[in-house]
Amino acid sequence: MARLVLDNITKSFGTVQVINGIDLAIAHREFVVFVGPSGCGKSTMLRMIAGLESVSGGRIVIGDRDVTHVAPSKREIAMVFQSYALFPHLTVAENIGFGLRLANTPKAEIDRQVGEVARTLQIEQLLERKPRHLSGGQRQRVAIGRSIIRNPKVFLFDEPLSNLDASLRVQMRLEIARLHQRLDATMVYVTHDQTEAMSLADRIVVFNAGRIEQVGTPIELYEKPANTFVAGFIGAPSMNFIEARIDSSGGAPIARFGPASIPLADAERRFQPGGVTLGVRPEHILIAEGRTPDFTATVEIVEKLGAESLVYLQTGFSPDPVTMRVSPEHPVKPGDSLPLCLDQNRVHCFASDGAAI
Amino acid sequence: MERETGVWRLVFLALPLGVFTVLVIWPLASSFYYSFTNWNGFSDNFEFVGFSNFNKLWTDKLFFNAAVNTAIWMVAAVLIPTLLGLGLALLIDSRIPGGPVFKSIFYFPICLSAVVVGQIWIWIYQPDWGLLNVAIGAVTGSSPDFAWLAKPDTALGSVIAAWAWQHTGLAMVIYLAGLTSIPEDLLEVCEIEGASTWQRLRVVIIPLLTPATVVVVALNVINSLKGFEILYIMTGGGPFNSSDTLAMHMYNESFKKYLMGYGSAISVVLFIVALTIIGIYFRELKKVDEIYG
Repeated sequence: MARLVLDNITKSFGTVQVINGIDLAIAHREFVVFVGPSGCGKSTMLRMIAGLESVSGGRIVIGDRDVTHVAPSKREIAMVFQSYALFPHLTVAENIGFGLRLANTPKAEIDRQVGEVARTLQIEQLLERKPRHLSGGQRQRVAIGRSIIRNPKVFLFDEPLSNLDASLRVQMRLEIARLHQRLDATMVYVTHDQTEAMSLADRIVVFNAGRIEQVGTPIELYEKPANTFVAGFIGAPSMNFIEARIDSSGGAPIARFGPASIPLADAERRFQPGGVTLGVRPEHILIAEGRTPDFTATVEIVEKLGAESLVYLQTGFSPDPVTMRVSPEHPVKPGDSLPLCLDQNRVHCFASDGAAI
Repeated sequence: MERETGVWRLVFLALPLGVFTVLVIWPLASSFYYSFTNWNGFSDNFEFVGFSNFNKLWTDKLFFNAAVNTAIWMVAAVLIPTLLGLGLALLIDSRIPGGPVFKSIFYFPICLSAVVVGQIWIWIYQPDWGLLNVAIGAVTGSSPDFAWLAKPDTALGSVIAAWAWQHTGLAMVIYLAGLTSIPEDLLEVCEIEGASTWQRLRVVIIPLLTPATVVVVALNVINSLKGFEILYIMTGGGPFNSSDTLAMHMYNESFKKYLMGYGSAISVVLFIVALTIIGIYFRELKKVDEIYG
């Protein structure tokens, strides 16, 4: 069983603490994605799991073994780097079989295992080439091959697709998902791309400033963000934030912003009168056709993406443009004034400290 | 417009091309020309002698002695600073205490002229009070008075040691730059794969230092081909021609025996050797470039 436990992990560089008490349990065969903005500590955390970075405090357990102070090569992990980290002077076959060669494995056995991995990754025809003569996607396959051949308990991926172009990234994402289905291994994957996180993860861990903001399935994070940071980070385009005031004078709480007001009818949520931030996903802003609009807004820019169009709106109550999705057939154009209403059941409320209400 | 640009290009290139022609092309062409004559270096009266100067090379024992010495000199003058430079760079890169200070100390000799280096080492090799004999005496408890530069068996080796002392620092600095350019994640792969220090060195670091090695070897080859001053200062090619190289032999034939035609023929041979080595270098450089970009 290759479960991975991070127990109160801290990391300091001099007097600067960059990881602040991370607690996380990752189950056997689980695919967990660490996501967060640059400098949030996600890669440092991954490197600590790999043993490439020392731990200032806490414990790392892989399987049933405390590996906090164990050398990287003894942790039964494999790591795929953003830069691929392929040896330029070695052929693809030599790169994949690098670890076996170091372990003085007989050549015939190396060839057999390399051939097997190459077949799995469909790179048999590349085995005699040098990395310089490979495309980005092929190089990443070779790097993955080198990690597969180790037969590790835990795979670690450090932004492996960041250097690839958009279409190749989608293709490789699919291949990594397939690989996870096929291999009996736990995977930890670091990315700053939330789309990658959403599409690959069993669970996503959102990092910010060396802390975990929220852990959950992609849908949990999308539908029930714990705070404005997660709400803003997960989802593309990101959630719209609208400053509002709660008015409970009439009994049921009402959120007022600009000329608009919407009832907040969720009985589970306890609203205090005062300022709040409303969070509305772009798909939850609707054109009020045959309904009384909550507000009107002027179309500033329309981005036609094919499957949908993104409309950026100027409103009287938000300094930033508000984004909404519309069907690509909708004849909306810049300068139009649109009557809009919010899907009241899908409006998120955040307190002044950013926490979800 | 294009024509005007072309004219300006010629104007700007004229001066450097002129200097290059006067200082390089003209002497080179003259050497080729005089190698087919019996010119003594002074007289206006000389004759074309065809290939007789080149034919003479085959029967000149001193030429063969110089060629062998040149081969020894070049191999040693390339290998020793290269290997020592690599060793020192690896040592300093491993962050030993005082690394930056050692780096400066080891680099210092390359800033000195060959004449100064030669004189320093003449003193070091001095039989009665030279540092080397004094140091050997201190270790062995004897009073050696070995004349390192006056014995045919040790003269060339002694000059090679002085040469290596001067040129190791340059190799070290180039290797240090090479070491810093090795991507950190490649070394991290070694860590994850469990490579021992020796495996890391043999399988990863030394191959990845190939571009640096190409530069170091090229510089050492070029410098060793030009290595005339230090031999001239320390031994003058002696004793009994034991440290005579082709460059030294050419000098002696041209300027001491006044056989400028024959000296020119030796210089042509030296030029062809240098050209061959440079040709090989460029071919290898292309291969390295294909792998390492």
